[in-house]
Amino acid sequence: MAEGVVLETLSNRKLVYLTMSLLLLQITFYLIGGLIAPAPTNVQNILGTKCLDTGGGRAWTKWHYSRGEGRCEFVDEFNDPRIMMDHISTNEIVFVFQFPTPRGGHELDMSRWFQNIISVLQLDVEYNPDVQFDDNPVITMDARLGYKNKHDNHSDWTEIARSTEIRDLKCNLAKRELGQPIECDLLPFFELGSCHHDYYLINIRLPVDEKRMMNTGIGVLNNIYMIAIHPNGGFSKVWLSLKTCLFPTMLAVLIWFWHRVVQLPRPSNLLERMLLALGLTMAFLNLPVEWFTLWIYMPYMLLFSDIRQGIFHTVLLSFWIIFTGEHMMDQVQRNRLVLYWKHLGAVAFGCICLFVFELCERGVQLTNPFYSIWATTSGSKLGYAFVILASVAACVYFVFLCVMVGRALINIYSKRSLLATMSKARRKYYKGLIYRFNFLMMMTVVCAAITVIFFIIGQVSEGQWKWNENSLEYNSAFLTGVYGMWNVYVCCLLILYAPSHKTKAVITGRFPLHHKHVICAITLCHQNVVLEKEIWFR
Amino acid sequence: MVESRFECFLCSLRTVNILLPSREAAYAHGIATAGVVFAVSQACREGYLTNCGCSRKKRPNSLHRDWIWGGCGDNIEYGYRFAQGFVDIREREKNHPRRSPGLARTLMNLHNNEAGRRALYSHPEIACKCHGVSGSCSLKTCWNQLASFRVTGERLRQRYDSSVRVRFNRRGTKLIRANSRFRKVHKEDFVYLEESPDYCVPNPETGSLGTVGRRCDKNSDDMGGCRLMCCDRGYKTRKAKLSERCHCKFHWCCFVKCKVCERIIYIHTCK
Repeated sequence: MAEGVVLETLSNRKLVYLTMSLLLLQITFYLIGGLIAPAPTNVQNILGTKCLDTGGGRAWTKWHYSRGEGRCEFVDEFNDPRIMMDHISTNEIVFVFQFPTPRGGHELDMSRWFQNIISVLQLDVEYNPDVQFDDNPVITMDARLGYKNKHDNHSDWTEIARSTEIRDLKCNLAKRELGQPIECDLLPFFELGSCHHDYYLINIRLPVDEKRMMNTGIGVLNNIYMIAIHPNGGFSKVWLSLKTCLFPTMLAVLIWFWHRVVQLPRPSNLLERMLLALGLTMAFLNLPVEWFTLWIYMPYMLLFSDIRQGIFHTVLLSFWIIFTGEHMMDQVQRNRLVLYWKHLGAVAFGCICLFVFELCERGVQLTNPFYSIWATTSGSKLGYAFVILASVAACVYFVFLCVMVGRALINIYSKRSLLATMSKARRKYYKGLIYRFNFLMMMTVVCAAITVIFFIIGQVSEGQWKWNENSLEYNSAFLTGVYGMWNVYVCCLLILYAPSHKTKAVITGRFPLHHKHVICAITLCHQNVVLEKEIWFR
Repeated sequence: MVESRFECFLCSLRTVNILLPSREAAYAHGIATAGVVFAVSQACREGYLTNCGCSRKKRPNSLHRDWIWGGCGDNIEYGYRFAQGFVDIREREKNHPRRSPGLARTLMNLHNNEAGRRALYSHPEIACKCHGVSGSCSLKTCWNQLASFRVTGERLRQRYDSSVRVRFNRRGTKLIRANSRFRKVHKEDFVYLEESPDYCVPNPETGSLGTVGRRCDKNSDDMGGCRLMCCDRGYKTRKAKLSERCHCKFHWCCFVKCKVCERIIYIHTCK
């Protein structure tokens, strides 16, 4: 990129206008999330109804539901006399979760705007000296997930998945005393990539098998709560509208950018191709595929959007490395992707680790929504292994990046001191390079810092339960704001780092050149190069 | 309150009728109100109550849009508001003149009801779940967990021990701490107007039932022990044959099989 880019040729006034308008756009993104959108997710906390399944053998094909015609017979507590009198055994008790629960006298239904459902279980366990409680209790659940739609009959539940799940209970027992509540960690339960149906039903059994030590050491279980988390419909609407607006904008900017590159008399260089790739992945991330979920059953959406995000991050990280490398100013001819194999290798390795992890978790969940890699000890070891490998790759990447940025900065300082001695054309060339590099550095650091700061505030503030109504939804503002910010960032790069027509006219008039080594070959600046090299080696 | 001379006789809702505005009355009001919040919130979760939640946001008018737009409010919030209407209404329906004992009692009860409600909702356990990209914490959702009622009961018991005595302010419209050396009254504290009567002897005027006939623990030195419980009147010991379930096998919900054992125990009761 020996010719100027738009950034250099833009007059100061225009640059200020552009910056101001992008800043305004950015603030708008935050306000959209903060003022218009509701909280990003909604939580339904459902207490399991304890249904009695007195008839029917061990096939367990019948659905038990707690509301509507033909609902099950249930007890409120296990010390109900019926349990004792009818000799109800553990295998005859079904925990039933039928959601959504009715509110305000109306039977509600799930909306497709909810996109996906994630759920965890909270067990209400109590200590009783008569009941065995293992040191490392393990719970075995026979779980069944079904759905029903509005016009179906009361008992017309259709199965989505059924699985026998084994989960480690991580509990904290303060005192071994009768009636002492035992605090247990939340259990990951299921993740549904699509919220396509109106009503959902969960049936859980905790069968006891003494021979296999199944569910014999879990203490007294009073209740099971299921917590279902899903994106809020209102938030999905705002989010999708945002994407729908951003997608064509990004596409237009991309077309403009590439048009300019194609117009150049030379073939595109690596940096320009990298910018194109960055723009394309951003546009891909913006592509509002979620609209289809309103009509089509797409259970793979969670996986798909994670992969999309992953691709964008991969390209963004690679872009930073290549941008720094191309602005190194050390007379090494790069402009080829292969030369960055070490750095890009770290990025690729980390991303592949996360991809495999993703497939192990959400990929398997496509067939069994109850599956969780964290549920078993060996699984979580594998999970941790992937995450740690990815973290190591990330660390290696950042070391590489820091070294490169450091070297570039050192070069900039040494070049700066030499600027005065350079010829006019070379001074212009180096000044441009330094300016471009500093501008991107600044913008990147600001964007990354804002993301990190908002993320930390989000993590801290969410820990405190807000009782009072607050008019500003912080989490939504964070999500839309940060998403918008990276869009603005990519847009900004595409616009400002597009080849400029203006400079091309000026520079190509004198030097029809665009690579450093070509410039250096010119005797005019040969002396300068020798001088520079002397200083560099000193 | 088991191990106290004060016997909470019919401490249930609406029958809370302890004559003296003592700290026991404060406790009774507090725990009864907390119980209402707990039960209502619990029922909300199970979907048994049709009127729960869903009105946190004022935005859309129709319920269905509200649900899709903003989800539904928290169940504890509903329980709290329900208890405010249901329990406090009894106090609010009376009109008392300034400085009257009736107003003092009303204010005390209202304060203690609020303390009971707060014992439940201002100490919720927050649980969170990370569910961002690849399960990372880029998106975290938190919610309120309702602790078991036992925990709330223990907290209220602590409040009972640290309750604050109050009196009217100069204008006779509000209650303030009786002694400026006491700490300031917080909304979560129990307040009372008069010191507790002697619960050793029955007195219908104060609402004391006396400790005659109460069971006590011979080997204990604290409030539940026979010495303190029986107010130095001594105790009777009787031998009883107890039939109980024993050698039980119990699974997480239910007894599998038990034997019935008979055992002889000694029961100590106050004279």
